[in-house]
Amino acid sequence: MSKQINKKEIIITGFGGQGIVLAGKIIGMAAALGDKKESTLVQSYGPESRGGACCAQVIISDNTIQYPYVNMADVLACMSQSAYEKYKGQVKPDGFLLTDKDLVTPDGDMEFFAIPSTRMAEELGRKMIANIIMIGFATSVTGLISENAAKEAVLSSVPKGTEKLNMNAFQKGYDYGLSKLKARRKKATANTGASQ
Amino acid sequence: MENFNVILFLCNWSPHAAYQQLQEGDYQIPAEIKMVRIPCTGRITKALLFKAFEMGADGVALVGCGSGTCRYGSGTQAAINNTEDTRNIIELLGLGKDRMRLATFLPHEPLPLKEFLADFCENIRAMGKSQITPSITREESLFNESVGAIVAKHDAFSCQDCGKCTSSCPLALCGKPYSPRDIVSGIIHGEVMSQKIENDIDACLTCGICHERCPSDVNFPEFIRDMRCSIGSNGGNGSGRQAHGGFFQSLMRAMVSPELKPNRWNNLPEQIQIDPDSKVMFFGGCAPYFDVFFKRHHHVKTIDILHDSLRLLNFFDVYPRLFGEERCCGHDLLWSGDRANFIRLAKLNVEAIRDAGIETVITSCPECYKTIRLDYEKHGIDLGFNVIHLYEFLETEIDKGAVEFNHLNKKITFQDSCRLNRMESVRDFPRKLIQRLSVEKFEEMKDSDRSALCCGNCAWTGCDAFSKALQVKRLRQAHATGSDLMVTSCPKCQIHLSCAMQDTMLGDELKMEMIDLTSIIASTIRLE
Repeated sequence: MSKQINKKEIIITGFGGQGIVLAGKIIGMAAALGDKKESTLVQSYGPESRGGACCAQVIISDNTIQYPYVNMADVLACMSQSAYEKYKGQVKPDGFLLTDKDLVTPDGDMEFFAIPSTRMAEELGRKMIANIIMIGFATSVTGLISENAAKEAVLSSVPKGTEKLNMNAFQKGYDYGLSKLKARRKKATANTGASQ
Repeated sequence: MENFNVILFLCNWSPHAAYQQLQEGDYQIPAEIKMVRIPCTGRITKALLFKAFEMGADGVALVGCGSGTCRYGSGTQAAINNTEDTRNIIELLGLGKDRMRLATFLPHEPLPLKEFLADFCENIRAMGKSQITPSITREESLFNESVGAIVAKHDAFSCQDCGKCTSSCPLALCGKPYSPRDIVSGIIHGEVMSQKIENDIDACLTCGICHERCPSDVNFPEFIRDMRCSIGSNGGNGSGRQAHGGFFQSLMRAMVSPELKPNRWNNLPEQIQIDPDSKVMFFGGCAPYFDVFFKRHHHVKTIDILHDSLRLLNFFDVYPRLFGEERCCGHDLLWSGDRANFIRLAKLNVEAIRDAGIETVITSCPECYKTIRLDYEKHGIDLGFNVIHLYEFLETEIDKGAVEFNHLNKKITFQDSCRLNRMESVRDFPRKLIQRLSVEKFEEMKDSDRSALCCGNCAWTGCDAFSKALQVKRLRQAHATGSDLMVTSCPKCQIHLSCAMQDTMLGDELKMEMIDLTSIIASTIRLE
């Protein structure tokens, strides 16, 4: 049983070109190289690589991983509506659903965490880094990988000269996640405003 | 036995007759009483009452005629109001309100007067000496910086006579015969002591538009500031052109006394949480004093800005420390020409903050921010802590996300604070924050952003008909945007603009609701 508890399955999905596979690779690398765990990555692209639903499946475990495909995910991160439609059934009821706030409108009643990652990336000056923002967000919200490991992995995966931009992006996503968690906690006490 | 000083302002009419009867009888007036004979208690303003304390009085008694017996009709009521306000202010200041008393007597009441005097003196003795040590006066404190040195320091010689300063000066645009270029040239040519130059030096708003436009980068506001410090045309004793009888300058000079323990954080709303061990301090500024002083004139409640700032800090999980004994930052002393007392105030503040182990000071007042952040160090006082403006803090926190704003069904416009607007590092924050709000419409006034107009006065100096004209102009610009709510960023803008709204001729035309940016954020922000 303990094997089961220490295994986390992640699906990152969106349009081809959004950096979905790279995001999966970074999370896997962070777990394996930074946090010293086992991890696998399965990517599906091919005909879908420009537009259409693209998908990266990551497994992080304390023990050897025998089978790399994900059936029911602990974390599902969706960066497009079509990808959400395709994969929404594959997340555990007690798992995390992460979405891009402007690109995905979830229809179920499952609780979800939304971040305007594409908009934030545009504000930072490059739409391409939405995936890094999503990694930062996933890191703080789900706690799957440690912050330092994630940062190391981002730095070693992005092109030279873009480290600062990518670190900013990661930090933005990370801080946004922390604020979100805080907002959830405060909402529990029904104290959502500043005045009274 | 210590020597006590009790100032007795004694009305010429009823009580003076009673006082004379005491003097003619056997009664020895207590030695500590220094009597000042005045025409009517109603003419003794808050500035005069407080001036006595600033000069070291241990107690002040205002003694006049009873209601209905005032020779001039309204004197008694004015005295009651002034007494109440002054008492509240000396209470905030930590002196204790009972050091000031008002009493009324009829001519045939020498005995009650005698009892009153004895009782008051006894009370003052029981309270002990005043904690205020009379500050060095203006004359002694003059900085011996020659006019030539000031001109050279600010490179005023490089003036090209282009006239951009005059054509941008808010005072000149309101019709005042006023030209920075002309003042500089007058001073260079040695006309410093002429009446016109002296008046002009006092009238400058120090808003800094001229410096913004000057192709030679002559910092006219700082030039004026140093001239004020040097020639001392303001006069040290509340004379000259200080507004409100020099009350605020007196108040600030009183705060220079090291033994004084002001207590400005009374009556903090319950929900606000503070942490006495925090490394973050919230520096409030003088809003509590403003509210007491202007209570009868405007309906401004600038203390709300402080409370809302604290609510916002709490909202973002910052529980700051507050200093009851916080003093004025000294901005207005520096800018009205009293540099020596400014430096003493600054040292007291910095020592207290540093001794408490504070690492970060957050303030919502533009003047406190600029003064502590920049001017303290320029005057040789090392801070040893960070200073950030509340807007900077808010923008950073809100940018992290997961907060949004309730919709406010108002059309708003924005009145810039000159001090923030001239500081490159913070000038954009107010507008960034306003863009985040959810309001019906945000419309800039005709003169906005870098060209924004001053609210008409600075450092409680040189208020005149043209200040008023400037305020009227500004309010008309605000109305022209079709807005129904003016958002401000400085408590003094609220005070000065609401003064113009009380004009008996134009008042109704000018009236407009005002709210500080901090308050509008605090009332609409919520978690997503």
